[in-house]
Amino acid sequence: MFDVLITNGRIVDGSGEPAFAGDVAIKGGRIAAVGRIEGEARETLDAGGRVVAPGFIDPHTHFDVQLLWDGAARPALEHGVTCVVPGNCSLSLAPLKAADRPAVVGMFQQIEEMPPEAFTQAFEWTWEDFAGYRRALEKSLSINVAPLVGHSVIRLWVMGAASQERASTPGEIAQMQDLLRECLEAGAVGLSTSFVDMDERGRPVPSRFAQFEELDALAAVLGEFGRMLQIVPEFYDTDLTIARIDQLAELSLKHGIPTTFSPVFDSSITPNNVPRTLARVEEQFARGARVWPQMQTRPIDISFSLLRPSLFFARWPRWVRILRQPVESRLQALRDPETVEKMVADLGPDGGEAMMGGLIVRGGDAAPAALVGRTLGDIARERGEVPALALINLSLENDLDIAFLAASRGHERTDRIGPMLAHPLVHIGASDGGAHIASFATYGDTGYLFSEFVRKSGALSLEQAVRKITAETADIWGLKDRGRLAPGQAADVVIFDPDTIARGEERPAFDMPGDGMRYVRDAAGIDTVLVNGHVAWRKGAYSDARAGVVCV
Amino acid sequence: MSVRAPAEPVIVGAEIAAGHDGSAELVVQLRHPNGAEEPVVLDAEKGLDLMQRCGAASLDDLAGRSWREILGGN
Repeated sequence: MFDVLITNGRIVDGSGEPAFAGDVAIKGGRIAAVGRIEGEARETLDAGGRVVAPGFIDPHTHFDVQLLWDGAARPALEHGVTCVVPGNCSLSLAPLKAADRPAVVGMFQQIEEMPPEAFTQAFEWTWEDFAGYRRALEKSLSINVAPLVGHSVIRLWVMGAASQERASTPGEIAQMQDLLRECLEAGAVGLSTSFVDMDERGRPVPSRFAQFEELDALAAVLGEFGRMLQIVPEFYDTDLTIARIDQLAELSLKHGIPTTFSPVFDSSITPNNVPRTLARVEEQFARGARVWPQMQTRPIDISFSLLRPSLFFARWPRWVRILRQPVESRLQALRDPETVEKMVADLGPDGGEAMMGGLIVRGGDAAPAALVGRTLGDIARERGEVPALALINLSLENDLDIAFLAASRGHERTDRIGPMLAHPLVHIGASDGGAHIASFATYGDTGYLFSEFVRKSGALSLEQAVRKITAETADIWGLKDRGRLAPGQAADVVIFDPDTIARGEERPAFDMPGDGMRYVRDAAGIDTVLVNGHVAWRKGAYSDARAGVVCV
Repeated sequence: MSVRAPAEPVIVGAEIAAGHDGSAELVVQLRHPNGAEEPVVLDAEKGLDLMQRCGAASLDDLAGRSWREILGGN
């Protein structure tokens, strides 16, 4: 008898082969059969003609902390994601000595924007080594986790405060090698490093002080295990990114490891960035190197508040001058009717309707929930004000802590992004899930892949899109028995409607420890998600199943 | 004998772009003496400093300024 039988499905098995009508049988957490299946099962799920596919794998997340109190990495799981890779960008929560926790918490807060309570109240910090972190994680996982270990914390463990001051000695490098080896033996799927990230005090994170010899030595250890090296290159500069691609290629060839880098953005301002980057990647793959560029599906938004000067106002020098003043004098200027009249006039005769009317009001700790998600133009009309004046007054009414969002201002050209995502060497990922949580939602990128690039533009077929975020990702990362619907594979399965799957609307949620706010997107078009053969989410609700594992 | 100052890169344009963390960034386009162009990305603080240093009322006003303005005008 099977444990679960999914019937009446449109099977898209992750291989890229054409979809076919069939059933999927599951036993002991594994796929038992795929096709037309006769047999009894303890639980039967009628897919109703929907797509039945392998669970999606998200290879770039920062769920390291959240997973300790939320083993589903909500809402990632309900979007069909059954495996996440945390520990990116040189930062992980292990190995980490107790005395170094405050330093790393600061770095995490810089990236994740989580409230302090997330680190002080939401979980019991019981570990220092990677094996201990793994044990803490495994207590209540609903989703699978393939964790990276961060170069910055390895450096911090070995060098202490000097990790943010200088290059390492040969002896320190040897200690880092031993420590990395220990982490890989404990279940880390690779090492992450960064050439751009900063800590909360504006200092480069420890990994940025490493010389190439140190990275080479650590890559040698990765080579013993055939594991991944993930980096954040100087992505804002194409030439530097290409130089990093060449470095990664040397490490890949020398040590026999896969490497990946992200982000990779397209922009009308730098239209040659992705073409040049991909051209170099193609050259290095032709040499036998594995250097996977990781590209996100979603467009980039600009968000800002009047708490800090933003380049959004660069077109209006008066605004820049006022917003760059210290807070007290800034407030004084914004409360002065004559000054405000001039500021509004700067926006033109429509009072900013064209330039600001489409802005969307965001959270910020003080933002009234009733306003969040609405356009500034709409709110301004309700208030009987022009948009520029409404922006100023709303900010004053909320101690300046109310944010505004200009949507889709980068990586937004579907006609350009689609073919890039379909490129055989482009690795779809870089969601940043669990990071920047108070600025924008980092969930649902897989839904956006289907709604925008399969349904709308047709840049990828359904089967191609599924393969990209399942089997291909598992192969790139060396995740055994994941990413395919085939007998013997882990039974990570998602059932979805290809006509309605989408990333859902962005909304604020106050579900972080200490009632902290974040932006989320609810799943659309996802029917059921199974993790290792257990229903983890079905028809809008999470189950009590805790079948997630640390998968390697 | 007069010594001619070496030709240097100049700013030929600038635009606002979206940074990966949701912040607005300034992408400054530089043209080198050999004709090659390249973008330089500045965060909000550095971008606004540059505009202030150049007395730029608009992004167009940055065109023609020396690349040294990005470094602080030295």
